[in-house]
Amino acid sequence: MLEFKNVTYIYGAGTPFEIKALDDISIKIEKGKVTGLIGHSGSGKSTLVQLMNALYKPTSGTVLLNGEDINKDAKTSHDTRFKVGLVFQYPEYQLFEETVGADIAFGPRNMGLSEGEIKDRVMRAANFVGLSPEILQRSPFELSGGQKRRCAIAGVIAMDPEVLVLDEPAAGLDPRGRSEILGGLMEYRKKRGNSLVIVSHSMEDIAEYSDNIIAMSKGKILCSGTPHEVFSNFDILEDSGLSLPEVTEVMHKLKTAGANINPSLYTVDEAYSELLPKLRMKK
Amino acid sequence: MLKDVTLGQFFPGKSILHRLDPRIKIISVILFIVAVFTASSAVSYAFLVLLIGLMVAISGISIKTILKSIKPLLIIIIFTAITNIFWTTGDNLLVKWKFITIYAEGVRAAILMVTRLITLITGTFVLLTYTTSPMALTDAIERLTSPLKKLHVPTHEFAMMMTIALRFIPTLIEETDKIISAQKSRGADFETGSLLKRAKAIVPILIPLFISAFRRADELASAMECRLYHGGDGRTKMKVLKLKFLDLAAVLFFIAVIAAVIVINKFLYY
Repeated sequence: MLEFKNVTYIYGAGTPFEIKALDDISIKIEKGKVTGLIGHSGSGKSTLVQLMNALYKPTSGTVLLNGEDINKDAKTSHDTRFKVGLVFQYPEYQLFEETVGADIAFGPRNMGLSEGEIKDRVMRAANFVGLSPEILQRSPFELSGGQKRRCAIAGVIAMDPEVLVLDEPAAGLDPRGRSEILGGLMEYRKKRGNSLVIVSHSMEDIAEYSDNIIAMSKGKILCSGTPHEVFSNFDILEDSGLSLPEVTEVMHKLKTAGANINPSLYTVDEAYSELLPKLRMKK
Repeated sequence: MLKDVTLGQFFPGKSILHRLDPRIKIISVILFIVAVFTASSAVSYAFLVLLIGLMVAISGISIKTILKSIKPLLIIIIFTAITNIFWTTGDNLLVKWKFITIYAEGVRAAILMVTRLITLITGTFVLLTYTTSPMALTDAIERLTSPLKKLHVPTHEFAMMMTIALRFIPTLIEETDKIISAQKSRGADFETGSLLKRAKAIVPILIPLFISAFRRADELASAMECRLYHGGDGRTKMKVLKLKFLDLAAVLFFIAVIAAVIVINKFLYY
């Protein structure tokens, strides 16, 4: 699927202001899975994301999509943007069209699709993010913050990318807005079967929705794997200042206090079934 | 891409030129410009070039940076040189070939005009732009124009507008970069196609940019009002500009430069 091979990215290479944003990164984004990308601001997440659809070209190393170098030539890079859909942080600020429908259609129109196909895709994308059809006729600037966000995400979903990458899709939304957007995305992935990459610094969100987690720090991969694998690296995560999901933290504290339990659990249900029998035993 | 543009070319430093009062620097630049326009002999130009060399050395700004600042004006400089070479007439014919005639006077005029342009540019850059922070500069402009307040010219408000505009240039550049990336991610193509097509491609950048600029302006206005900003009346400064001995010396120095140029013009005319 999408693969990074020894990718290094340096800002301002060759100037006195060189900053190494990514250092020899090798990762694989698996097909049909949800990959959570986590790290502090400045850890290189956003750079990594922009390398995924050839907005940036690696200083060294290659980015492969289905085995093909996405930076091979200008046309491949351009076409990659339809296959790897990227939703930026606060995407609502990129809306520009007169109506919500026209804005969602911007991507598909750039793909050169027929009007009928464009219309279909707009309706489908709006449906996935939970925008009702009558909103499509309104100006995007009349919408509420949450609706604008959905409209912007729909604009990328409408391109029907193989990999959908979202940089902090739930940032700045209230808890309900968060779960609605993230839930909608999960629904979308289930129906279309494509891959999802979610960037966040909220461990809770990442833990709840991801199949795989990549934790980054200072331009390097800290650890990666399933949530259980990643959360068992308690010390590594804590050293780099990344918080664990609250449940995992409690489990770890119990473990260090001497309880014989699996500390890498991260949902309340898991913790419940792990702890309950042990509590009963004590009685 | 846009980040490569050098805007607000201030280079922080601790040289004498950095430490001068910004008001004095503005006055010095004006005096320096007068000196440049007074110069008419080659020797006085040489004197000014020497002076600039000295100022650059004091400021600690690299020659490379100085050359970079001249580069955008290269076309104007070349154009000036060419018009002077070919269109100045005189007594000493150098070249006559078909319709091209070049006089020695033309070559001299071209060299002097080019020197004048370069000294003007480097002089203002070294004295003002490179060594004065934009904030100090607007502050100085406000203070220098404050007598106009008597004529009900809102000088403080103008200075505040300039400060805000300067402050937001980097922010808006960053924002533009982001919007361009976002629209590129949706397959927008800014590099190929006819001129009309490319002009149209700018719309998806401009509209979000304008909207965000208005939003920022609105937010800033609220934030300022929350802190009871009410314009310039009765407002005090955190950093009060105070003239020092060095500042007085600088003004006298540049007056002396004008005097020197006049004397050189008179006695060492070449």
